[in-house]
Amino acid sequence: MSFILQLLIFPGFLFIICLAFFSEWVLRKFVARIQSRMGPTYTGSGGILQPFADFIKLLGKEDIVPAFAERTYFTLTPLLCLTLPLTALFILPMAGNRALISFEGDLIFLAFIFTTLTIMVFLGGFLSGSVFSMVGGVRAATQLLGYEIPFLLALFGPAIPASSLSISKISTWQAQNNAWGLWTQPIGFGVLVICLLAELELLPFDIPEAETEIVAGWNVEFTGRRLALVRLGRDVELVLASTILADIYLGGPQQVWIIPPIIIFLAKMFACLLLLGYLKTLFARFRIDQVLSGMWKYVIPAAMIQFIILKLIW
Amino acid sequence: MSGSTIKVIIGPQHPALKEPERFILETEGEYVVDVKVRIGYIHRGIEKAMENRTYLQGLYLSERVCGICSDAHTTCYVQGVEELLGVEPPPRSRFIRVVVAELERIHSHLLWLGIAAHEIGFDTLFMYVWRDREVVMDLLEIVSGNRVHYATNTIGGVRRDLNDEKIHKILKGLKTLEDRVKEYLRMIQKEQTVLKRTVNVGILSKSDAIKYGAVGPTIRASGVKRDVRADDPYAAYDEIPFNVVVEDGCDCLARIMVRGREVLESIHIIREALKKMPGGEIRVRVKPRIPPAEALSRVEAPRGELLYYIRSNGTDKPERCKIRTPTLANIPSLCKMLVGGYIADVPIVLAGIDPCFACMDRVLVIDREKKEAKVWTLDMLRRYGREWYRKR
Repeated sequence: MSFILQLLIFPGFLFIICLAFFSEWVLRKFVARIQSRMGPTYTGSGGILQPFADFIKLLGKEDIVPAFAERTYFTLTPLLCLTLPLTALFILPMAGNRALISFEGDLIFLAFIFTTLTIMVFLGGFLSGSVFSMVGGVRAATQLLGYEIPFLLALFGPAIPASSLSISKISTWQAQNNAWGLWTQPIGFGVLVICLLAELELLPFDIPEAETEIVAGWNVEFTGRRLALVRLGRDVELVLASTILADIYLGGPQQVWIIPPIIIFLAKMFACLLLLGYLKTLFARFRIDQVLSGMWKYVIPAAMIQFIILKLIW
Repeated sequence: MSGSTIKVIIGPQHPALKEPERFILETEGEYVVDVKVRIGYIHRGIEKAMENRTYLQGLYLSERVCGICSDAHTTCYVQGVEELLGVEPPPRSRFIRVVVAELERIHSHLLWLGIAAHEIGFDTLFMYVWRDREVVMDLLEIVSGNRVHYATNTIGGVRRDLNDEKIHKILKGLKTLEDRVKEYLRMIQKEQTVLKRTVNVGILSKSDAIKYGAVGPTIRASGVKRDVRADDPYAAYDEIPFNVVVEDGCDCLARIMVRGREVLESIHIIREALKKMPGGEIRVRVKPRIPPAEALSRVEAPRGELLYYIRSNGTDKPERCKIRTPTLANIPSLCKMLVGGYIADVPIVLAGIDPCFACMDRVLVIDREKKEAKVWTLDMLRRYGREWYRKR
């Protein structure tokens, strides 16, 4: 019974969805203030309910399937866009030392989910039947070729000192030994941040949905319920990305003095979120060929060097 | 589809285009191999409308050709009409015209810089530049009472005078702008992501720029020193020393730098103009009827050379008023710039000429069998319109 409650309410679905809406608001407000704008102000205090209002509004809009779209994938993509990151969040510890679901090797499962997500984006974009979404889908897949290898290297780096492939064990080990990944392998942290920016399609890597070039890229054809799910999926992915950084490189949830682990975890998570948001405002968008060559020339060697240093120490 | 190329259609509705116009790109992978432009989506019939209105009413119409360079259009129009009349505007009004024209150039170039940043996905710069653009918008409001359509010019002079208080406010605002623009130029030259997206993008060589007849900042970014203000001085430009800004890069970065440095040059021109401004009247009264003659008037609008041809026939209405906006002159060079680039670079290259399509679109009815152009009177157009809608 308590497991079902945990799964449904805290730290399960309800908590994650609320956190996702809240994160979107934090990011929008933060980016807006950096760009000397106001950000959302109207709905709720300080516009805090704006992401939720957007979601509700989209649910009520007309749902259109383009005549040329492949119906199955067109329906499947928004669903998987939401469910895959949600699933991934269950294996990441948030409220305590152990995640909701934890097993040896869940780090590999996490990597699998990330790749599947991009493949779904590619399929959904490619089969939407629009030139813009097709170009966007192809770009998403091409970008994957660039960031996947450094992403995996940076993801598995912290597993070596903890000698475990379970995320819960890695974060517990880091918290207990006071050896955050951020201090022991800073290059790996940088590489992971860059790759997460690319995975989340944030600037300077928002190439698959570049607004001024290909309108909205792979999600150009989604409307109504489907778009609402896609957007919620993006928010959950945002939480997922910051949680990964907090868990794998910052020691995750840990009890400090009398402060409960969840507070510490949220502080770390939002620090990572703001870092991603800050980086997002600093750059212009790269071109797809520049991303590929940049990733292969600089980021992959950096990830490899980090791995070698790690092997020499441990 | 021909061979292995895919047609990517940009426009008439596209987020990179602020106005409807259609570009059909033949692409191979991410490369553009050929471009076809289809213009004429927002023809508004302003030239025709001018023929049915008095010269003074035409002034208000010309102001509304463009929402950004409205002052350049009226300056060009009143200069043409003044030439027809043979009147010379008072010296003070010519200096006020320069001040407003340069303030408008600053506002237009800052607006463009923001859009260019948005096209390469640099929204932070976009927001910052547009925030600072408010300074110059406020200055224009102080000078003319309006933020967009200034309505400063009138036939025979200007409508509003400047006093010491206004001049003081202008000088103060210019100082802020100067600091900010210098800061942006410094930042743009250092920021790697901006350089990556603009260096060697949308190349228009010097010979091509001359061959395709580019105008304004587009040709000056290709290393050709061409500026109506210097080549054929109007208003008070012959009395104010200034440099024509030229860059040799031939690419999008050069276009950014030319406009940025022109803002600094404009600030310098305004300061000089305010310093040298003579006293006296600001307008002379003119007769509404204009003797038969024809006049060609040129002005350096923020986007390049703007051209008005006006022919009078002795009544209070012009017989013909032809407007050639700088965007039309830049379209052939635009096609040249796009070919050979990436799809991802199309928005910034398109934005590079600072297009203003609504100002550009014209209609010419051509009889295909007889191979000749037809001139339509307004009555004929009205009848045609009524019939066309009845048939639907």
